[in-house]
Amino acid sequence: MSDRQEKMRQSAEKLLRDGEVGYVIGWGATRFCDRTTPVFIDSPEGAASLVWNEHAVNSLAKYLLDDKYPDKKIGLFARGCESRAVNRMIKDNQVKRESLYLIGVPCDGKSSDRCRLCRERNPLVYDVLLWEPEANAAPADRFERVRGVEAMSPDERYRYWGGVYDRCIRCYACRNACPVCSCRECYVDMGRTGFQGKQHSRSDNQIFGVTRAFHVGDRCIECGECERACPMGLPIMGQTQKMLKEINELSGEYECGLDADSDSFLGRFDLDDKDEFM
Amino acid sequence: MSRIGVFVCHCGTNIASVVDPDRLTPAAREMPGVVYAADYRYMCSEPGQQMIKDSISEHGIDRIVIASCSPRMHETTFRKMLKGTSINPYMLEIANIREQCSWVHADKGRATEKAIGLVRMAVSKVSKNEPLYAQSIPITKRALVIGGGIAGIQAALDIADAGHEVVLLEREPSIGGKMAMLDKTFPTLDCSACISTPKMVDVGAHPNIRLMTYCEVESVSGYIGSFEVAIRQKARYVNHDICTGCGLCETKCPVKVDSEFNLGLSKRPAIYKLFPQAVPSKPVIDSESCRMLKDGKCGICAKLCPLGCIDYKDEARTVTESFGAIIMATGYQLVDWAAMYGEYGGGRYRDIISGLQFERTVNAAGPTEGHILRPSDGREPETVVIVKCVGSRDPKKGKSYCSRACCMYAAKHAHQILEKLPGSRVFIFYIDVRTPGKGYEEFYDQTRMDGAVYVRGRISKIYEEDGGLVCQGEDSLLGSQVRVRADMVILETAMEPSQGIEGLTSMLGAARDANNWIQEAHPKLRPVETQVGGVFLAGTCQGPKDIPDTVSQASAAAAKVIGLLNKSEMETSPMISAVERDKCSGCGACVGICPYKAITLQEIDDRLGAKRIKREVASVNSGLCQGCGACTAACRTGALDLLGFRNGQILEEVDALCL
Repeated sequence: MSDRQEKMRQSAEKLLRDGEVGYVIGWGATRFCDRTTPVFIDSPEGAASLVWNEHAVNSLAKYLLDDKYPDKKIGLFARGCESRAVNRMIKDNQVKRESLYLIGVPCDGKSSDRCRLCRERNPLVYDVLLWEPEANAAPADRFERVRGVEAMSPDERYRYWGGVYDRCIRCYACRNACPVCSCRECYVDMGRTGFQGKQHSRSDNQIFGVTRAFHVGDRCIECGECERACPMGLPIMGQTQKMLKEINELSGEYECGLDADSDSFLGRFDLDDKDEFM
Repeated sequence: MSRIGVFVCHCGTNIASVVDPDRLTPAAREMPGVVYAADYRYMCSEPGQQMIKDSISEHGIDRIVIASCSPRMHETTFRKMLKGTSINPYMLEIANIREQCSWVHADKGRATEKAIGLVRMAVSKVSKNEPLYAQSIPITKRALVIGGGIAGIQAALDIADAGHEVVLLEREPSIGGKMAMLDKTFPTLDCSACISTPKMVDVGAHPNIRLMTYCEVESVSGYIGSFEVAIRQKARYVNHDICTGCGLCETKCPVKVDSEFNLGLSKRPAIYKLFPQAVPSKPVIDSESCRMLKDGKCGICAKLCPLGCIDYKDEARTVTESFGAIIMATGYQLVDWAAMYGEYGGGRYRDIISGLQFERTVNAAGPTEGHILRPSDGREPETVVIVKCVGSRDPKKGKSYCSRACCMYAAKHAHQILEKLPGSRVFIFYIDVRTPGKGYEEFYDQTRMDGAVYVRGRISKIYEEDGGLVCQGEDSLLGSQVRVRADMVILETAMEPSQGIEGLTSMLGAARDANNWIQEAHPKLRPVETQVGGVFLAGTCQGPKDIPDTVSQASAAAAKVIGLLNKSEMETSPMISAVERDKCSGCGACVGICPYKAITLQEIDDRLGAKRIKREVASVNSGLCQGCGACTAACRTGALDLLGFRNGQILEEVDALCL
């Protein structure tokens, strides 16, 4: 572990010393031994504060959206999840590949629930790879949880999601953590959309949940950041995964962020689309 | 506060017999923002329109709702009317209380309730309407006709006669299409070539028509009024600028391959004209069979040509041309019956031919010089079986639709056989006989008088036995199995869209129906238009047709094009998508989802705090956008909104209905 951490520090230090990047986004220590925090290192000396351990759980890619027009390249430590997020952001025209320097760090598994469903530990896109790729752990059944909800009767299902959204506090942490949420202004922040109330009520919370699922569902890279960020511990990735499962059943194998070229399922027009519902 | 006027139309008794205007009009008067409401027998009539105009000035109305028929019927009528008033033509909403209410409901009380609801929705929406203004786009006064069959020829001639330039594009070496292959045309039995070749010559000689044969469309961009079309001229290997079409080169070519024009019933050389009356009457070299082009050995045609026209180094060229309008006249092909009907031998029996092969056989210029002979042994057949609906009306194996022309040409084929081969017998197996057309039923009657035996039923199997073909099927009128020993079988096969239609329609953004025919904009009211502005339809590319219908449609499409090209610029609909740049994150979801390729990302200068940045935002081309609204649904942040159907307007309608 410390060997890898050392490689990361050296790599960041060199990039900063050579002026290749303006800053590097990585993980740093906190005063808790079981937590790390995202850090933004902008001097060679600062590289020594980078850490790499099982608690480096945050996916860092989201921060790229805070600096979409950088003067210099941004250095980003990229595991499978960061790289898939980057692919998606490039496809969504939110970041430019040439303004990034991706330091590939194959992931050895982290101590977060969100990693349980990880299907890709190794970065799919990078400028340098700091160590050998890791073997992907056989993930649990991708849609196991979705299947569990599908097995419920409609009434049970309504009670289940109703219960989930009774607890939602509408803090929008899920949106803020999601690498795919990239609107300049989120509809929930708009003064008057006409269909989304600001009240904290089951129906308005549910409208938010459903809208969020539809806005990101066909582009979800299944990183689980929404659930990690949720202070109420709500199983909300189940909704985007339900969308993904439907898409898989409708049009075959579909997974987002594996490359930067694929259109999102709902973002393309094709005369040969199946329109069985017509 | 808006001042809304509501005008309820009785449509004679169409509306008033079910929806009660005496309840609806007072109810409308009570709706928020309504300052005036009235009803009248025919709002679209001259006095009706005058009444609306008078009310607008008298009551200071600034927007109106007309409760009448479908907006597809009279929305434009009322918009035109508003042009002469103080209010913008788009400050209008139509509440459809006819098609969506009085025509479909019987309970008068509840239908009236519903009509009140529909008017309430329209009143709510119109309160959010804003004036919209049309933009003008210039029109390139030049038309492209794709496909040089009779549809393309007719359309090109009509447009050219009206004084506009036309490019007629054909992928084969000659224009003429399927009609040039036919022998006689039903029901008058005039010779197909005699009526089509003069038109072909007219096309070749017309000063306003530029013929581009052996060409294919490579790409299309732009929109109504200014399409940019890249056209690929395939290599001809013959310099048509100097060639006189003397035909000497064709005589000594050592290669013999199946003739496309005679559908494999005869051979042609590698340097060839498609058929003797080809226009242009100059040959091309088929590079796939020419020995010189394949192996570099031969060169006989180059030696023979007195003018030195042969150029083995000729290459395909691509030219880009501008057009104001495009007519699709890409026609049809026959289905590959052999691949579909194993029970008919799957193509193993040479004496089973398609209807089009029979046309070539019976044609005086065809491979047998008009003698009806069996392909296998060149003998005259005594008994001929004609099978109709092969591939048509057969959802399991072929197409579910009716190919429309086969009933008539089957009768024609029977007539020709009985006439040319006295003493012969013809059996026609049919599902139904459909003869809707001038003189068609009479022709069918005549064929039966001639002696053709019509048997109602499908042929289930054809097999060879003792040099003949045994056709086995059911006579469903007798309810018994029948078996006919035939010398020759003619299959009247289904039409399907020409090969390549998918690519072409995708380039244009035009939709195809379930059977791949090009979709018209409206089956009744806009039958020659597509959903893409400036792209029109002629002939069988839209669906199976016979020649009279094809020619009528071609002239109709030409009329539309002439109407368009007569203007120097045209107004585009202002009901298109609009981008709110501040909200747009440039994600491009709208770009991929737009069926009309109307949205592109455009770089703009912007500021981020104190920093000057360049960022991309969506930009809508008003010439291409058809106002379908797909992008507004795809845009997560709501940066795109459809003018005239803004999200806010629609929500207002929903609220009026539900709250």
